[in-house]
Amino acid sequence: MKRKNAEKLPLFSFRYLLYDFTKLTAALPGLIWLRPKWIYENKAAKKRLRGGYLVIANHAGFLDPVYVMAAIWYRRHRFICIKDFFESKAGWLFRGFRCIPVDRENFGIDTLRQISGALKAGSIVSLFPEGHVNDGSGQMAAFKSGMVLMALQGNAPIVPVYAMPPAHWYNRLRLVIGEPIDIIASCGVRPSFSQIDAIAGMLQEKEEELKQRAEATQRRT
Amino acid sequence: MKRTEIIEKLREILRAADDRNQDAVSACTEQSRLVADLGFSSVSMLYMVIAIEEEFGIRFENVGAADFQTLGDVVDYIEAKLR
Repeated sequence: MKRKNAEKLPLFSFRYLLYDFTKLTAALPGLIWLRPKWIYENKAAKKRLRGGYLVIANHAGFLDPVYVMAAIWYRRHRFICIKDFFESKAGWLFRGFRCIPVDRENFGIDTLRQISGALKAGSIVSLFPEGHVNDGSGQMAAFKSGMVLMALQGNAPIVPVYAMPPAHWYNRLRLVIGEPIDIIASCGVRPSFSQIDAIAGMLQEKEEELKQRAEATQRRT
Repeated sequence: MKRTEIIEKLREILRAADDRNQDAVSACTEQSRLVADLGFSSVSMLYMVIAIEEEFGIRFENVGAADFQTLGDVVDYIEAKLR
């Protein structure tokens, strides 16, 4: 899929100083420790992403943002995270990583504009549609449908990613990357409420498929 | 624009968007509660805000999904913006 609004940021940018520094210094230890295995759903999923995309992933632990960054390692991600993190002592870290704060209690139109603006400007925005770290049972929580509105407003396809963290030290991190899904092409710019819920359900099914793919490759090894 | 015209336009927006709740939308009044009577979630609330912005040519500022309780609150906001 050819995207017109490719990110125009240079290789080095002061805005992403902390992000790039962390990524560069953590890359080698991360590769050695996690030995990530990239698994692509099909040929289309393997194609490099250029322009604005909304990346969604499962949320089983606090290292998931690192896994998502590793899945699409060649792009900078802007993560959506709850406002409380910005107000904590580690707020500088989230600001430095150019995360986008959301108020879970009162999701505002200005936040939606910020997200859609970033997508339209050609950035990759990443989020965990479960809304929180799941209960650790291996089952994903129900996806919230806000991501559909973000993708619609930002005119961006959705890229599903499933990260399977290593169960033992000798296991590899498995990252399954799905084909980008253009929801505007399938339901238009103004779908009904039930269509929005149906898209959220379809994306959850897609994540389940990617999960099964990750499990199947782990069983084979 | 009169309040009755605004609410009629809102009904049109909601009829197009909320295909599961047509009866409640057609019967909605200024007193209708968005969550309790119309079954709105934060996503449907923001969806409505976007549709209103396009329909009325106004811009909502610093508004969250929980800031409107009834349809009348939305009408008040639109009326103030159009003034």
